[in-house]
Amino acid sequence: MSKPKLRARLASLSFSEKIKILEKLRDRDKAIAASGLRRGPKQAGNRRPEDITK
Amino acid sequence: MAHNDGKDAPVRVTLETINQMQADGVIGKYAIGGAVGATFYLDPAATVDLDIFVTLPTASGGLLVSLSPIYEYLKSRGGEVQDEYIVIGGWPVQFLPPNNDLEQEAVTEATSTAVEDVRTWVMSAEHLVAIALKTGRAKDHNRILQFVEQDAVDRKKLGRILEQHGLTPKWIQFEAKFLGGPK
Repeated sequence: MSKPKLRARLASLSFSEKIKILEKLRDRDKAIAASGLRRGPKQAGNRRPEDITK
Repeated sequence: MAHNDGKDAPVRVTLETINQMQADGVIGKYAIGGAVGATFYLDPAATVDLDIFVTLPTASGGLLVSLSPIYEYLKSRGGEVQDEYIVIGGWPVQFLPPNNDLEQEAVTEATSTAVEDVRTWVMSAEHLVAIALKTGRAKDHNRILQFVEQDAVDRKKLGRILEQHGLTPKWIQFEAKFLGGPK
């Protein structure tokens, strides 16, 4: 299924169904954060300007 | 207010708490805005918080608006304050008293809906777009584009709202920059 079609299909869901998806996204996000898999800017090698100047 | 299966409670629980707070007279009419409000019209997008635009019964006398009654009410029921949010059922909720006529109108004219069996109110698509335009951050512009691309906004109604709130020049700029001119 193409991305526009998928988005259209998701947009046509009921608000309750969409909220359930938001809840799953939230739970997944928290699980990733708790696992330490998400790296911060320094760890990812993306140094911030203030890090470079100091 | 955590769920007993270890996961945070569903949004339904958060809304039930807000509805009870309304029934208890702590808040007046409210409407969901922001990313969750936009989800009513668009495909769901990950978000970390729930924006609740809320009228306060005590704010009618021209006195300073205080969110203290909301915070006290929710803290006494297990809510946890985190910066500008109060966490209810695992969802950080930001309560936002209408800051201008546009936001007030958005609350007044909000659409009634339900999450499962819990009644709630969501801002109209056109008000969400107008507020996003007025706010003007990159993520707001992105959201407006989603509304336009998914044809989820009544352009005539949007035009009336933009005109009424002095946002037409800003919309023309937006169209020129992001939509290649008037659509």
